[in-house]
Amino acid sequence: MADKTFHLLHALEHRRDAYGFALRPQHVQRYKEYATILKEEEEERSDRWKDFLVQLKTSAQPCSFEKEDKLVLQAEPAKKEAERIQERLGEGDDTVDLQSLSDGSSESDHKKEEQLSKETKTSKVQTWASIRSSLGTIEDMMSSRVKKTKNMKHEQITMGEVHLPSIEETGSSNASEKDFEEEAFFNIVNDSVNADAAETDVGNGVSESVNAIGEEQTLGDGVTDIVNAAVVEKTMYGGVSDNVDAASRPEQTVDDGVSDIVNAAAMENIVGGDVSDNVDAAARRTEQAVDDGVSDSVNATGAGKKVIDGLYYNVNDAGAKKSVDDEFTPEPCFPWREELECLVRGGVPKDLRGEVWQAFVGVKARRIERYYHDLLANTGESKDDDDSSGVPRKWKRQIEKDIPRTFPGHPALDENGRDSLRRLLLAYARHNPSVGYCQAMNFFAGLFLLLMPEENAFWTLVGLIDDYFEGYYTEEMIESQVDQLVFEELMRERFPKLVNHLDYLGVQVAWLSGPWFLSIFVNMLPWESVLRVWDVLLYEGNRVMLFRTALALMELYGSALVTTKDAGDAITLLQSLSGSTFDSSQLVLTACMGFLAVTEARLQELREKHRPAILVVVDERSKRGRVWKDSKGLASKLYSFKHDRGSLVEEKKTTEGGDMLAKGDQSQSGPRSSNLDDLLDSLTVDPEIDSLPDLQEQVVWLKVELCRVLEEKRSAIMRAEELETALMEMVKLDNRRELSAKVEQLEQELSELQQALADKKEQEAAMLKVLMRVEQEQKLTEDARRSAEQDAAAQKYAVHVLQEKYEKAMASVAEMEKRVVMAESMLEATLQYQSGQDKAQSSPRAGRNPGFIQENTKRIGLLSFGLGWRDRNKGKPTGGEGSSESKSTNEPGESKSANELINPNTPQKETIEQECVLGDIESGFTTVICLSLKNQYQT
Amino acid sequence: MGCSASLPDRSSGRLVGANSDNGGAPDAKNLRVKLVLLGDSGVGKSCIVLRFVRGQFDPTSKVTVGASFLSQTIALQDSTTVKFEIWDTAGQERYAALAPLYYRGAAVAVVVYDITSPDSFAKAQYWVKELQKHGSPDIIMALVGNKADLHEKREVPAQDGIEYAEKNEMFFIETSAKTADNINQLFEEIAKRLPRPTTS
Repeated sequence: MADKTFHLLHALEHRRDAYGFALRPQHVQRYKEYATILKEEEEERSDRWKDFLVQLKTSAQPCSFEKEDKLVLQAEPAKKEAERIQERLGEGDDTVDLQSLSDGSSESDHKKEEQLSKETKTSKVQTWASIRSSLGTIEDMMSSRVKKTKNMKHEQITMGEVHLPSIEETGSSNASEKDFEEEAFFNIVNDSVNADAAETDVGNGVSESVNAIGEEQTLGDGVTDIVNAAVVEKTMYGGVSDNVDAASRPEQTVDDGVSDIVNAAAMENIVGGDVSDNVDAAARRTEQAVDDGVSDSVNATGAGKKVIDGLYYNVNDAGAKKSVDDEFTPEPCFPWREELECLVRGGVPKDLRGEVWQAFVGVKARRIERYYHDLLANTGESKDDDDSSGVPRKWKRQIEKDIPRTFPGHPALDENGRDSLRRLLLAYARHNPSVGYCQAMNFFAGLFLLLMPEENAFWTLVGLIDDYFEGYYTEEMIESQVDQLVFEELMRERFPKLVNHLDYLGVQVAWLSGPWFLSIFVNMLPWESVLRVWDVLLYEGNRVMLFRTALALMELYGSALVTTKDAGDAITLLQSLSGSTFDSSQLVLTACMGFLAVTEARLQELREKHRPAILVVVDERSKRGRVWKDSKGLASKLYSFKHDRGSLVEEKKTTEGGDMLAKGDQSQSGPRSSNLDDLLDSLTVDPEIDSLPDLQEQVVWLKVELCRVLEEKRSAIMRAEELETALMEMVKLDNRRELSAKVEQLEQELSELQQALADKKEQEAAMLKVLMRVEQEQKLTEDARRSAEQDAAAQKYAVHVLQEKYEKAMASVAEMEKRVVMAESMLEATLQYQSGQDKAQSSPRAGRNPGFIQENTKRIGLLSFGLGWRDRNKGKPTGGEGSSESKSTNEPGESKSANELINPNTPQKETIEQECVLGDIESGFTTVICLSLKNQYQT
Repeated sequence: MGCSASLPDRSSGRLVGANSDNGGAPDAKNLRVKLVLLGDSGVGKSCIVLRFVRGQFDPTSKVTVGASFLSQTIALQDSTTVKFEIWDTAGQERYAALAPLYYRGAAVAVVVYDITSPDSFAKAQYWVKELQKHGSPDIIMALVGNKADLHEKREVPAQDGIEYAEKNEMFFIETSAKTADNINQLFEEIAKRLPRPTTS
């Protein structure tokens, strides 16, 4: 698979990154920019790792010897083998052997299987070591922290009595996951807690406590050495020895036979002490029980119930996880640890990553031969009784839905790749039914499949989900919810300003961080960054890196976030920024160096603080109608939810282990075949004997507890409300301030606008006035024009008339002239005639003749005057309108009078005007002519 | 493809989600709305959002882990704009534990089911009940039957959806993210039903 991946990776289109994952189109450019840098980094990284591994190879040998010495010092009753791992494995196996021996039980087949696995393990160590021998060393180191878990798994498989050792172990590995420096201190605290627990146990003054002591004494029959050694070791080495302790105790219990109850009680006390750093309530319960003076049998009953409820599996798991961390930290034997850490932070070379990751997770140590194949075989046959319940069908459907939606289009996830993915997820669901299948795991499984063979990918996934992210992906997802609260608190501590801003925008931190955490940044960051984060995360073996990376992202992008104006913008911005975090080195270094104070211990502390709140919510959720899968009583619910590390149904951890409960019940009637049966027997019988008072007491206690929880809830709600109102106030205040500023500004703007409006209005009025005046004027001129036009028309008409008259007059003048000429000629003729007569008469009146001639010439002059006037008039008939006008206005009266004078009978007034001029002229002439004629005649 | 307008007019004047988150000044013309998509896994919640926001359809989209966020602004005919802040939640049952984080304070909840899957319809009813109990009291709910393009494989009659929606005062629509059928209508209808903030 891995090989195939690498081949395929060479034939990549540029829209995919170096790992074959699709790039978002908007990131292609940036990816190209970073590609060369990444390549250089990668080369440098490979060199450094090579050097380191070579160096490691040389130093590996002495180291393992040292380790051996230590083991001897620890007085482990183990066979000394050449290889350290084998030594370590042997240690575990021997414990198991011891147990199985002391059992004296019939479970030889299990034992066989266990031995088988031991052998294969050994062989595997060798084969893998041959691949990359130096990596093996790292793996050794890492697997040492896994060993405990694995051992327990074995026990679970072989004897089904895990609960006892695991619980004890839990008790002792209290301080586990603390940092190296703090380890010693916490161990001491832890031990003292245990001591306290023991004391209270004794302090009960109940007879059973004597038994307990007695039991311890009886232990001295041979195993004591180990125990003592273990006790000594406990103080010295913490978790390492705890294993011994844990492993040895159960046998003692069984050997003792009678001390079951006591042991159970002790167990419970220890559980209390242990879980106290998880859930105080449990410890309180224990203390309460002690304070009340309740007999050990009560405790035993309680314990028995718990056992029946499957609680111990949870505790077991918790213990396993802790012991893993515990085991790892105090190793003084790996001087190159720091160097390795440094290297890991610098990134694991691409080609080594698959194997290095396996080494980190401790696949070798976890691996149980044939386990995976068995799981797969079961899938096919579905012979399991639990299978028919339909639960896995639900997961199967979900898995089917999600497989095509896992890295769609990745070249390695072809038909075969998807089949592997399907098998892997189904096998895991079967392996750990408390988780089953949860969306997000498909991505993890897919990622692992790209880097390593299928079975190894399975074990890596097991390590990741069962250990590192325990309780995260279970049905209730309690731990992931707890982590959100923890992260929010860290955010408030680290970036108060940013969180204030987010609060103001109404953005919850969990909205942003939730998807990050749940997907472990897969699909949230560019792949290079995701893998770099995973390098560190898998190396450290806890979720610290998750927090540190998220904080680093906030540190990198917080300043940008503060500038956003609304919730949507903020979230979008952060999504796109984190999606383009190509500078993976910057991210990882900021995460690792910038947040050193965020340690597992601190996280654990915060988790304890916040878990109850989540549990209350989860409990309410489950109460309010969601049907629980099984018919757990209230008591167990109250109990288990406090301890619930998500593995409520851990009983399916292995196929064999799955039947444990049933077996326990059945064994009541059967012979005592094993420790478990023994214990369960006694436990289940006990409640029958004195169940009534116990139950009543339980009920009372539960009621009290319930009241307390409710009280807490109420106060929490009230506090929340208070805070909310305070926040609202703040926000309102803020809003108000902003609003008032805005209002002021707006008002100013408004007044300005009003001013402008007034000005405009004024202008408008002025304009209107002007306009009106202009209009008036226009009207006037229009009127004037119209009247002028009328006048003009009238005048034109008059002119026309005059012209006509004039023409008529001219015609008549011409006629008159003719007549005048005629008259003149007649006159001349007459004159000639007269003169002729005169001559003949020779009249004495000759003296008068010159006068007459004078008069005649005068008359001619007069005539010529009239004609001259006519001529003059002729010259200006068109041009002299004005004069004609005035004439026309003046003339009528005159002409009329003249006309009247001449023809008084002229009847038509209308024609007067027409005639008047003519008449005037005519009459003028006629008068002249008449006068002249008269004169002539007179003369 | 019925579109029953069974939702009574909720012009109560209370700004539910429009700007209820605070932040930007309330503005009658520019609404901001938190919308959450709920529904069974694989019914196409993410596809609806992607179709609406980016106009794309990818038959092999990724599984949503936790939740994912996108926003889109649309303009209505009355010249108001509505900015949808869309939370697309993970569908698997156990992620329901995280859902309150996202539907709390949401003004609109779009409950999606797959018309080819009666299970998903049942799951939608679960979500409606959950929202009625724990969502904002004035939350606007839309019931969406997705994958309407697969009508030959239909197993949930449209009538069932309409009836259920009417009973629960929801707005019902059948959509297809694949063919983009009714996707924009869905969001426009939602926008129309939003209570308008009274002018401040």
